Parts: sequence; C-alpha cells; structure tokens
Amino acid sequence: MTSDHISSLRNPSSIKTRFAHRFVLALKKLSMDRASSSVSMADRYKRYRKVRAAAYASMASSVGPKRAWARALLRKIRNRKMGSNLMKRLGSRTGLLKKRTVLKPRNHREMGSEQENSLRELVPGGEGMEFYRLLNETGHYIKCLRAQVKVMKNIIDLYSN
Amino acid sequence: MDRGVVMASCEIEPFYGSNWDSITSVNRGGNLENSSYFAQNEFNDPHYSPVLENQILARSSHLVHFPSDPNLLDLVAKAPSFGSGCFSEMDNSFGNIHSSFAQNNGVSTQSASRNGAIYLDQCQTSEHRVFGDSFNGKWKRKVSFGASFKNAEEHGKDASEDTESPGEHDEMNKKFGPNCSTNLRGKQGVEQAKNNAVVAEPSKENYLHMRAKRGHATSSHSLAERVRRERISERMKLLQELVPGCNKITGKAVMLDEIINYVQSLQHQVEILNSQGGNANTHGINPGLNPSHTLRGFSHGSFNGLPGTVQPFCPLPHTLFDDELRSILQTGSGSNAARDKRDVNDDGAM
Repeated sequence: MTSDHISSLRNPSSIKTRFAHRFVLALKKLSMDRASSSVSMADRYKRYRKVRAAAYASMASSVGPKRAWARALLRKIRNRKMGSNLMKRLGSRTGLLKKRTVLKPRNHREMGSEQENSLRELVPGGEGMEFYRLLNETGHYIKCLRAQVKVMKNIIDLYSN
Repeated sequence: MDRGVVMASCEIEPFYGSNWDSITSVNRGGNLENSSYFAQNEFNDPHYSPVLENQILARSSHLVHFPSDPNLLDLVAKAPSFGSGCFSEMDNSFGNIHSSFAQNNGVSTQSASRNGAIYLDQCQTSEHRVFGDSFNGKWKRKVSFGASFKNAEEHGKDASEDTESPGEHDEMNKKFGPNCSTNLRGKQGVEQAKNNAVVAEPSKENYLHMRAKRGHATSSHSLAERVRRERISERMKLLQELVPGCNKITGKAVMLDEIINYVQSLQHQVEILNSQGGNANTHGINPGLNPSHTLRGFSHGSFNGLPGTVQPFCPLPHTLFDDELRSILQTGSGSNAARDKRDVNDDGAM
C-alpha cells in the first residue's frame, strides 16, 4: 500500500517530500508536547520560535549535509538552543559560546561590493565563502526556500481547516 | 640597440561581451606598463593604423640592425620577404625559420628554438596574416607571446631595456596571435604608437585601460581573475533563471539587488508561515493526527507507534502538495474560513 502511494508521488525523494515529512513530524511533536493552547504572548512567541526552529531544522536536515548553508543553518539552530539552555544554567558562560559561534573565517567579508555583503548576510553561512560559492549556495537556497514555502503553506492550510 | 620584440597586436577574436574587468596591474618587469597599454590600444584605433603601417614598412630596412642575436637576424632577414605573402607560405617559412633557429648553436639556441616554436604555434593557430597584411590595419590588440619568448628576448637582446618591450612581453604571455615574428616591426610600431598614445592618453585613459585588459591576460593573476569572473557571470545567468522576472536585467549590480530582494521576500514568507504554524498548532492540529494519513505516501516505522485516535481523513488527497491539495482545499471545507481564522491569528500572535 505504502509503496503504491510513494510511487504515485511525482518525486518521492525530492526536497519537498523530505521536508514535508520532517516538518509534519516536528509539528506533531510540538503539538503533542504542549499541553493546551495558551494565550499569553510569551507562550505564543515561544511556540513561534519552536515552530520556526522546527521549520529551519527540518529544511536543513532534509537538504543534507552537502550544502554549506544547510550546515550553517543547523549550526545556528543548535547554538541558539544550546545558548538558551546554557543561559538558564550558567549565566555568564554563554558569552564564550557565542564567541565560538561567531568565529568564522572573516577573510571574505571586507572584499566585495555592498550587495555582495548583504547577500552574505541573507544566506546562512555566507560569511566564510567566496563570491562564486556564495552564488552557488544562493541558487540552491532559493530553490529550497521556494519549496519550503509551498509545503508549509499546504501543511498549514491543511491543519488549520 | 633595441629589442626586437613584439608587440604586434592583432584582432584575435571578437571582444568579450561587456567584460570590462577592473584594471589589474600587470607590470612584471616593464617600466612603462601604462604606456605600453596605451600603445597597444592605440592599435585598435583604425586611425592610427595607416600611420603605423607606413612607418613600419618604412622602417623595415632598419630591422636588420636590431637583433644582436644571429638567430634573430636570420629571422629578420627573412621577415620582410613575408611582407605580402599569404598565410600558408608563411607557415612554411616559419618552419624554415624554426629549423634555422634550431641549427644555430650557442646560448641562444634554446631561445631560438623556443622562438621558432612559438612562431610556428602562433602561425598555425592564428588566422591572420602576420607580416605585411597584418600590418595593414590589424594592429588591434596586443598579442601575448609565451613566457619563453620573453626569456629568449632577455637572453638574446639584453641591452636596451626598452620601456615598452618588457611590458608588452608580460602582456603577451598567454595569448598568441598572428603577428608572431613581428619583433622588429612591432617595435617600431610600438614606438610610433607610444608617441601617439601619449597624446591620446589623458582623454581615453580609462577606456584604453579597459580595452587592454579585455583582450588578453597579462599574468597568471589576471588570467585566474578572468576565469573567476567568467564563472561568476555564468552563475549569475543561472540565478537569473531562478529568480522570476529577471530575464531582461543585464548587469551584476542590478541582478544582485533582485536576488537579494527575492531571497528576502522568500524568507519573509517563511516567517509568516511559521507564525501561522504556531497558531495552527494550538488551534488546528489534532494531536491524534497521524501524519501518515495526510502524507499517505510515507510509511515509516515511527508513525505506527503514535498513540491517540486516528481521525479518518477520507476527504484528504493522496498527496499533500501543490495543485491537488489546493483543489481539494477549495472544494473542501471552508478554505475561506480558514484564511480568516489565520488572519486573525496573525494579528494576535505577532
């Protein structure tokens, strides 16, 4: 049964299907963890952050480790998580952690035009790359972002009905 | 004692699109790097070519004096005879020159053979005529001879490090052109051009620099840079196809702007959807939902262990994506209601 359904999909292992799969899983986990709908702004924001992290993480992990921006995205999420966790326990130590995350090769930052730098900021992990590689990653990133938007739209439409 | 070097500039191939590279300093050993550029560029200007041509032809008789190297003397002696020869003839004659070079002994043998080889290569690869005909107004761009030629030069003609020559040699490293053995003639041409170039220099400076750069790589650095730039422009073309509505844009800066805008808008969309997802989590998602039902196609072991009642999703489509889902949503339960709810949620959540 399942194989039929899988084969009926246009591309069973495309980015979209992989991402959808993981995202739905993550959402499920989130919704199950939470007790019930809480109305406070803080809770909503937290939930938003979690959903956002879930979206990015599922996107990045479905892309795979080959792409630099996916790796950088995952790293960011993990650091943020670790950072927030550590914040609760070790107040002052998080400064070190943050420094470590910032220590990226800065060789390629000053060189280049203004737009190049702003593009670097946009694309995750774009700081430490040469321009050519940055363009490569940007292309792939755009493709994945588009897929992500489509899938998320569909899923959310589905779930909010 | 001048060197009999080079400089023939010829039109090798049509100019690259709009590849105005930034000027890189290629001055390897030459003093008047700039002037040599200008000199070369002057050749591009058809206005100068007749002047050059006349002077070159007039000076051909002086060619014999230049090379101190006997090998080059041979070459020079034979050179004028090629003045109006056709290309194929020149090929053969180059072969002769090459052999004559090879015969000679001494320090310059190696260089001579290298010279000959270079000439052969260039003549075979180039399409233009070298000597007389090439001088007739084909002083377009500088031809870069091999580095070995430069060495030969230095060996053979030490002496007067004439200003242009080293610069020209440097430039001529990678590109080969028809005007191979135009040492001596080139030389005079260069002088003429230089004089002319000085006049035109201030007005056309930037333009001339660009023109010089575009046609030939002058050093390994600039070659690598040019390769890099070409790769980048290739990527930009691919990106153009990815970003909608960018077909008519030509230009790196504008294209980059468009790309940046597009990426930003996509990221914004994801953010919005994220917030909606946050809301959907509280309102819409039933914890009992078994994703396998919605996704249908995915059967993975992890799904089976989920607790909770599985709601029947009969009206759901088989696949979750795109058109199918959209059509289902439209025909199915209150998509409008869902949208309204979402909007309200948006206001509340953020």
